[in-house]
Amino acid sequence: MNKQRVVVVCPGRGSYSRDSSGYFNNHDNRISSHLSLIDNKRIKHNQLGVIELDSMSFKSKIHMTGENASSLIYACSLNEFLSINLKEYEIVAITGNSMGWYSALALAGAITYENGYDLVNTMGSMMKDKIIGGQLIYPITNNNWIIDKRIQQKVLSEISKESAHISIILGGYIVIGGSNDSLKRLKKKLPPIENYPFQIPYHAAFHTPLMQTVSERGFNKIPKSFFSKPTIPLIDGRGFIWSPYSTNIHELYKYTLGTQVTKTFNFTKSISIALKEFSPDKLILLGPGNSLGGATAQIIIKNNWNFIESKKSFLLNQEKDPFLISMGILEQRDIVSL
Amino acid sequence: MFDRAEIIDKNFIDFVRSNNLPSLDSHVPLSDTDLKLSDLISLFESQVQSRHIDLKARAFKNEGKCFYTIGSSGHEGNAVFGKIFDIDDIAFLHYRSTPFFIERSKHLPGSTPLYDLALSFVASSDDPISGGRHKVIGSKELNIPPQTSTIASHLPKAVGAAFSIDRAKDLNFNQKRFKKNSLTICSFGDASVNHATALSALNTASLVKYNGGHVPIVFICEDNGLGISVPTPTDWIENRFSNSVGLKYIQTNGLDLIDLHLKTVQAEKYARKYRHPVFLHMKTVRLMGHAGSDIETGYMSQEELSKIERQDPLLFSAKILMDNKCLRSSDIINLYEECRKRISKIFEYASTRPKLIDPGEIMSTIVSDVGNITKPEALKQIDRKKIFGKEYSRLDKKYHMAKLINYALHDILMQYPNTVIFGEDVGKKGGVYHVTADLQKNFGTRRVFDSPLDETSILGFSSGFGHNGFVPIPEIQFLAYFHNAEDQIRGEVATLSFFSKGQFTNPMVIRIPGLAYQKGFGGHFHNDNSLSIFRDIPGLIIAVPSNGEDAVRMLRSSVRVAHEKGRVIVFVEPIALYMTKDLINKGDEKWTFKYPDVNEEISVGDIKKYGDGEALTILSYGNGLYISLQAKQEIEKKIKKKIQIVDLRWLSEINVKKLLHTIGSSSKVLIVEECRKSGSYGEGLLSDLQVASKSSLKIKLHAAQDSFIPIGEGATSTLPNKDSIVKIAQELYNE
Repeated sequence: MNKQRVVVVCPGRGSYSRDSSGYFNNHDNRISSHLSLIDNKRIKHNQLGVIELDSMSFKSKIHMTGENASSLIYACSLNEFLSINLKEYEIVAITGNSMGWYSALALAGAITYENGYDLVNTMGSMMKDKIIGGQLIYPITNNNWIIDKRIQQKVLSEISKESAHISIILGGYIVIGGSNDSLKRLKKKLPPIENYPFQIPYHAAFHTPLMQTVSERGFNKIPKSFFSKPTIPLIDGRGFIWSPYSTNIHELYKYTLGTQVTKTFNFTKSISIALKEFSPDKLILLGPGNSLGGATAQIIIKNNWNFIESKKSFLLNQEKDPFLISMGILEQRDIVSL
Repeated sequence: MFDRAEIIDKNFIDFVRSNNLPSLDSHVPLSDTDLKLSDLISLFESQVQSRHIDLKARAFKNEGKCFYTIGSSGHEGNAVFGKIFDIDDIAFLHYRSTPFFIERSKHLPGSTPLYDLALSFVASSDDPISGGRHKVIGSKELNIPPQTSTIASHLPKAVGAAFSIDRAKDLNFNQKRFKKNSLTICSFGDASVNHATALSALNTASLVKYNGGHVPIVFICEDNGLGISVPTPTDWIENRFSNSVGLKYIQTNGLDLIDLHLKTVQAEKYARKYRHPVFLHMKTVRLMGHAGSDIETGYMSQEELSKIERQDPLLFSAKILMDNKCLRSSDIINLYEECRKRISKIFEYASTRPKLIDPGEIMSTIVSDVGNITKPEALKQIDRKKIFGKEYSRLDKKYHMAKLINYALHDILMQYPNTVIFGEDVGKKGGVYHVTADLQKNFGTRRVFDSPLDETSILGFSSGFGHNGFVPIPEIQFLAYFHNAEDQIRGEVATLSFFSKGQFTNPMVIRIPGLAYQKGFGGHFHNDNSLSIFRDIPGLIIAVPSNGEDAVRMLRSSVRVAHEKGRVIVFVEPIALYMTKDLINKGDEKWTFKYPDVNEEISVGDIKKYGDGEALTILSYGNGLYISLQAKQEIEKKIKKKIQIVDLRWLSEINVKKLLHTIGSSSKVLIVEECRKSGSYGEGLLSDLQVASKSSLKIKLHAAQDSFIPIGEGATSTLPNKDSIVKIAQELYNE
């Protein structure tokens, strides 16, 4: 039987939440040796170990800070990835959102699992003492998850007026990055829609020029020798494909610690490229949680992929034979996991 | 086994696996270039992707899912051009340019070359460049206007585009679309270079260079030695172009990625630095025939075919990769097989996407609605005074058409900094009828300039300038001269919006003095009375003013729609009316007019009615209108009733419903058509009116006879004249 071709999507910060805590209690641990290694390192650096963090009751100020959330998400994603049934599914490309890029690098073999942890933890802990700026998330779709160009235009224009930046293009959302002052003004200017504009707690102005110093420190702390060619194609936050054969390691290093840190992360593009340039049978969104599911669905809708044109048709399709498998949803996880 | 695609596919795997790879005669070491190993592999990946696209297209053709199988196999070397030339270098490409397209897309992360190409092969309406209208190589984002390039008709516009780059810089023209240091690249085959259009373009580029001008273009001749079944003599291309005046010739081996890189960099640097044309000659092979339907064994032996197939560029690339320790044979085979699966999946999915079937949808891109968003400047009195000089105080006097058009061109050049005027003798001489008099003096040689005597180049230049944000106003000296360059409009200019979903436009206003009734100078070349060449070209606007006042207002609106909507307008000026001053009697000066206020325009499609008698309606334009007006009084006298005469003005934009409204209760309609009857606009109008009026009207077409115009006294014998109009109008009225 031919294997189904799948693209794997790694979630970013914010995917580890109250709902996903206790992950390793609820799932088979397939990375115990890696986790021990990671936790030893963390303890050595006076950080709480991943297993300990995951077992604790969820507290935002502990679990959502960069130095903890990043490692938790990385560890969960790794475990999710190793749970995919490779007898039935062939992974043809890997992508991720925001910090999910670091996970993607490791899962695609462009960096070892251990070095991947160092990368994640180094970049996640960079603003331990003082977070630079922040991120606001704001929806730009109608009720049917179709992008409303007028709202989109209005948000873009306000971003520009307030000297803020597009941090992430996230399906039906725009994540805005900027200084706290500019975000404060934007919060007042953007018309409220349900809970939005919503400032994401413990998040910095990721993927904006405000991260320049973070990028520089990243280059100092992470050596190029960590990187190698991926064994599975990688799709980055511009939609560029890093091939297992032709990847220029120096360029991958520069992108990961430079461009990716200081420029807009276009998750919409990453998923669009995954669909169009790989034509997968399914997309697998790794856990923890399913917070990226809506945004991914909105990108599928935007591309009219498989003739899915609205939230309604997406949900209908998911009921019959889901194209998007969110491993954070138990029934869907069962479809693809060992 | 006769399926050559299958053989080539299998050979690749077998030869790589057994390390039975061909060696290059003269091998350039990688160290001679700045190519990295990763670059080499990346180029190879583009080559392999292109190959699998060709293979899949063939398989799909057999399943009835694909409608086009001209592939790029054998031409995979052109991936190198995609790598070296910057995305700002506009590329007018040969149809075997898939590897180029894939490689160029790597300059723009987020591009989807494989999916886009698949959509194009299966003619899906999702295809982002043509929307399923044709399998073209093109992309707005990648700066590749869509091309089918079957007859090398894209070369003249490529030369025009190249010329416009430095011209925009010289003019400090800020609406330009091309970057100031960019180049134009243009690829074509060894057989199509024999086309007159190709030779015209190469000649013009050389001539401009010879004259000290700048044409930063790299012509790339992809020489596979065959034009469908006809061999190009060995070394013909080299011998023909290596010593061509004004062309820097560089030859490269299309089978050798390293040599290709080295020579292409050389070509690129030369053209970019010196701004002169380069002829880059890539010698290669053609694999899998001209297209899927081409059975090569009909004109080539199995041995010959096998010999050519042994020259597969992919085999040479594999050899280079292995020699340079980039990849092992197993890696190469894995890469090749993974790519096969990936392309196959993409094609399978693309084939499910919607097709273009609805006629309205098909036709929706014939005309673009996207033009230049920059508003034309308001004319300032002070500038006008300066430019017009002494003439300024005479602007309120009455003049004939030639003079008034000349004034209008002055104002247009002032108002639209993106307009340029060129053509034969339009500069210092001011045109053979002085319509462009003083324009060069007043606006400089960079905006008003003489072209070579080559209409193909004039129209190619126009398209190239149009691509770069200009609104060129070329002049074709006489209507009959248009014919030798017709395809530049029919095949290229007019189709650009259609094949690019309106994403690319080449606006222009082509002024063409023409039509018959000239006295003392003529013959069919200068008195050509046929406009049928334009009549069936979708999307063109055809304007034929009958008097100077209308000509000015129509010219202004023509330039405006070209500027704002990217439209192409053919502005036919009746030569016989250029200097005409009188209408009825000698010295009455009723055909002279004051120069209309600068804000006055006549919208495209607007007609004009003379008189309001409804006993009979005459529909006409140009000279026919003028002569009909002369006949009006006599007709009315004979039938003792008043009639009306309608000037159609815009022949391509006749709104039959509105026209019927204008005709009103008049049941007799006479169409006076100064052009030859067959294929004339009048002929079309006759049938349109019959249908629309449900045959309630009595309509007669009085057209010129289907003859060429002789010289001398017989020059007007075959044309409608005042007496014939009176006679036919009277007969019609009495019917």
